[in-house]
Amino acid sequence: MTSRLRLFLMLAPAVGVIGLLFGGGLIVALMRSFNYMPVIGLTDPNLQAYGRVLTDPDFLLSFLLTFHIAFTSTVIAAIIATAAALLIRATTTGRGIITFLFQLNLTIPHIVGAIGILYLFSQSGTFARLGYAAGLIVRPADFPALVFDPAAIGIILHYIWKEVPFIGVVILAQMQTIGTDHEATARSLGATPWQAFRHTLLPMLLPGITAASVICFAFAFGAYEIPALLGASYPQALPVLAYRSFTDVDLASRPDAMAMAVIITCISAALIWAYTRALRAMVTR
Amino acid sequence: MTTRRTALALTAALIIPDFALADTADGSRLIGQDWASITDMAKGGTVNWFMWGGADNINAYVTDYVGGVLKDQYDITLNLIPLTDTTEAVNIVLGEKEAGNLDAGSVDLIWINGENFRTMQQGGLAFCGYTDTLPNNALVNWENPAIANDFGVPVNACEVPWNLAQFALAHDSATLPTPPKSIPELLDWIKANPGQFTYPAPPDFNGAVFVRHVFYHAAGGPDALLGPFDQAKFDAAATKTWAILNEIEPYLWREGATYPTSITQLNDLFANGEVALTFNYDPAQFGLAVDAGNYPDTVRSYALTDGTIGNTNYTIIPFNSPNKAAAMVAQNVLLSAEAQLEKANPTVWGTAPAITLDRVSPEVQAAFAALPSHPSVITPAELAPFALPELQADWISAIEQGWIENVGK
Repeated sequence: MTSRLRLFLMLAPAVGVIGLLFGGGLIVALMRSFNYMPVIGLTDPNLQAYGRVLTDPDFLLSFLLTFHIAFTSTVIAAIIATAAALLIRATTTGRGIITFLFQLNLTIPHIVGAIGILYLFSQSGTFARLGYAAGLIVRPADFPALVFDPAAIGIILHYIWKEVPFIGVVILAQMQTIGTDHEATARSLGATPWQAFRHTLLPMLLPGITAASVICFAFAFGAYEIPALLGASYPQALPVLAYRSFTDVDLASRPDAMAMAVIITCISAALIWAYTRALRAMVTR
Repeated sequence: MTTRRTALALTAALIIPDFALADTADGSRLIGQDWASITDMAKGGTVNWFMWGGADNINAYVTDYVGGVLKDQYDITLNLIPLTDTTEAVNIVLGEKEAGNLDAGSVDLIWINGENFRTMQQGGLAFCGYTDTLPNNALVNWENPAIANDFGVPVNACEVPWNLAQFALAHDSATLPTPPKSIPELLDWIKANPGQFTYPAPPDFNGAVFVRHVFYHAAGGPDALLGPFDQAKFDAAATKTWAILNEIEPYLWREGATYPTSITQLNDLFANGEVALTFNYDPAQFGLAVDAGNYPDTVRSYALTDGTIGNTNYTIIPFNSPNKAAAMVAQNVLLSAEAQLEKANPTVWGTAPAITLDRVSPEVQAAFAALPSHPSVITPAELAPFALPELQADWISAIEQGWIENVGK
């Protein structure tokens, strides 16, 4: 058996599964999005589903909401994560424990985090009950609406909570590699601590921050479960809107759902590209 | 070399499909067969049952009781695959049909009714014509139009009835001793008690049925709405319905700025005292929530004097199930007097039987009469005088879409 053949055979199961499940799914999704669905008598491919979706004001509103969720949570998380990493680096005693605690929630699934947000921040949640006990509020409705709210505060809180340690870990690892020599040199040449950070350390950290942020952004933009659990009934995040269309009882609305899914994929890719460029331009300016 | 051979054997085992002993994908061979040979063919088979899995007691009844009977008496393994939305199972069958999987589908049985049944029919996804073959089909009164039609769509021997359900509301008698007892009373009560009421946004199943009650009220009753979809009648009633629902919106929970997106969210709001009323298409759920400690034991349920909507729900076998014989045996067990009695028990589930009681033995009839009732659950007998029919699926889709367009935004 030649090594090439063996390599092929050993890769075959993995490639087969990915090719069949992912590639096959993608092809079926594309076919359906082009209004091609012989099962219900749609045999003439066209772009009507894309037309319907793109001219639907709901779709635009959902897009803006989803962008807001992904952008706001990623930017806030990146800032907090950088600050936290700097603080942890400056810590001398108990650094191991602090780093461990900082990374602890990386292992907690998103769904569990969302339920936690619900228990803590809903109008009858823990904080509302504490507020009631302290005499600050009289009824659940007096507590500010932080989940199921149109501004998506609950969703953003969840993503920040989950993304800060992720971005933080990447930054900490980078700081370890970079060391403190560059900053020390800058300081010895008269830079303030802020200048040393802003012009020496930050540009070197940026590739890591960008890479981690892009992953968080793409995840938040395409994720279904958090906006489904914590979102308002209208407008809905794009993945929730697409799924609602996918589970519509009328088979004729499946092409719209698939068109939406394809558009989400394309938008994600385009936004990641733009986000990476913008962040790089901002700091190297 | 040995490891390589093992690896190849494993790969082969993964690639070559595992032909069950009882491959009964060809349903036409089963129709009209004598029952003993069908149970023979079903032996050693597996039934993958996709069903809404949001109630632990229902799941326990299915896996423990029904699964136990199937294993012990027929050597059939029952797998429950829980769903949040039955459409997910319909989507799987549809995807398989599109992919050309016509006799080795992954779904053997679905708990279904209404719009999803219509979708199955629309896509030609159901195994049909076999119900007379089930011995316990004799216990079903197919003369009853509410059983012979699933939300107005003729059943045509494509599915088997399992339960009857009827909508009811629930309140906490300790904090709200006299709840509103009709739709007009409810609308006035909502305005007098701002923030105390809401309903899940359609297409949630229970939210949509609440909206239909308002729709019936706006149309002056369901009688004019029965039969095929009628755009003129719909427009007249819908305009009034959206006006009513938009008028009460500022008095709803969160001033109607958002709605719960599922019945689970509404139940949580009710359990936490954020709203004063909840409702359910399956009133047995109130008693279970009380027993689980989620609701106070002062919770009571009731029917509306102007009527509450009832339906029949069914189990269906997809056209490409490879275990049709086993799935038919499962359906026959579900229809048996013993299984229907077990699930009618409020400590198990407490749902109304889909079989006609005067066709079962006097002992089973007596056992049904002797079933205990839960103080928080209105009995099917108390609900029955107020029963309203469901509309055909086209009406229901139009009402859901109309709500999303005119009220939900």
